[in-house]
Amino acid sequence: MRLMRTILLTALLALAVSFAVPAQKRRSSRIAKPAVAKSNVEPISTEGLKALVSQQRDKPLLVNFWATWCDPCRDEFPDLVKIDNEYRPKSLDFVTVSLDEVKDIKTQVPQFLAQMKASMPAYLLDAKDPEPAINAIDTKWQGDLPATFLFSDKGVLIYKHFGRVNTAELREQIQKLVKE
Amino acid sequence: MTKRNLSILLAALFVTIGAAVAGSGRMNSEIPAPPAIGATIDEFTLPDVDGQARELKSIKGKNGTVLIFISVQCPVSNAYNERMEKLAADYKPRGISVIGINANASDDAAAVKAHAAEKGLTFQILKDPGNKVADKLGATRTPEAYFLDSNNKLLYHGRIDNSQNPSAIESNDLRQAIDSALNGKPIEKTEAKAFGCSIKRA
Repeated sequence: MRLMRTILLTALLALAVSFAVPAQKRRSSRIAKPAVAKSNVEPISTEGLKALVSQQRDKPLLVNFWATWCDPCRDEFPDLVKIDNEYRPKSLDFVTVSLDEVKDIKTQVPQFLAQMKASMPAYLLDAKDPEPAINAIDTKWQGDLPATFLFSDKGVLIYKHFGRVNTAELREQIQKLVKE
Repeated sequence: MTKRNLSILLAALFVTIGAAVAGSGRMNSEIPAPPAIGATIDEFTLPDVDGQARELKSIKGKNGTVLIFISVQCPVSNAYNERMEKLAADYKPRGISVIGINANASDDAAAVKAHAAEKGLTFQILKDPGNKVADKLGATRTPEAYFLDSNNKLLYHGRIDNSQNPSAIESNDLRQAIDSALNGKPIEKTEAKAFGCSIKRA
């Protein structure tokens, strides 16, 4: 009985500590030393980004902007992967756009995506000046990350969220579009 | 272990998990829009890193003031430490005061003080508990700059320059705005954006 109690206490303590350690500190263990990974991350220009979000398509489009240096972006990623698994490719297109530096396109960006088991199309913004890309998505967006945008099949911005995503709200918005 | 003890332990565990999950604070979608260029910014008082109250009017520059929202942990903000320090040093003789504001709930005053000492930041840094000033200014990210004239009129809002990487700077927007104002010329670009870390609001 005493042994069982010790095991249970140790397990609960370990779980509590793993949640309590700040994400910033967890990062060092999550990103290994830069090693060249098989990259499935494509560079995208500002013009490419504009075309991507404005084109007509047969499904709504969800776009998440993130970076490996952004803790809330990293923290929300498992939720985004769940949403991706639920809706894509049947009723939703979903792409992520990394704001990491271009030099990271074959190292820490794909490494993180692989850790997250993220299979949605992944881009990395390749632009010297970020402002035109920010304004191409939403002129009211100041550039704070993470940022998530939902476009209709006609390329109209329907929903946006700055900061860590609210999954219940996002699901509701996706459902509305999917039903239409 | 009794059932009661186990219940207490589980309750404590759920509280810990809940606090960790909910740690992101208020969503940025709820933050007021920043004031328009040309608007006058109200006077405010914030504590410095030692807890002493500082009024804007007592620390602003005679020719203008730059307020920059900064962070202890944000890599983007930290990429600008040297540039912000140099900005303060370069413009102090010209009557411009640079003031850092840390509005992150995750950075307490002691951490902000230690960070400034470690990074060699010698300009005045204020703590914005409860994000009152960040809300008034519609600040959402770090670093994010506001340049005010001597009457607190907002002349420029946005990024310091176009790139976190100093070797890729092509548009020194904040410096250009200050130089134009000091030379009595119109500011060509009054707003400019860049990506940054969300301010972690209380």
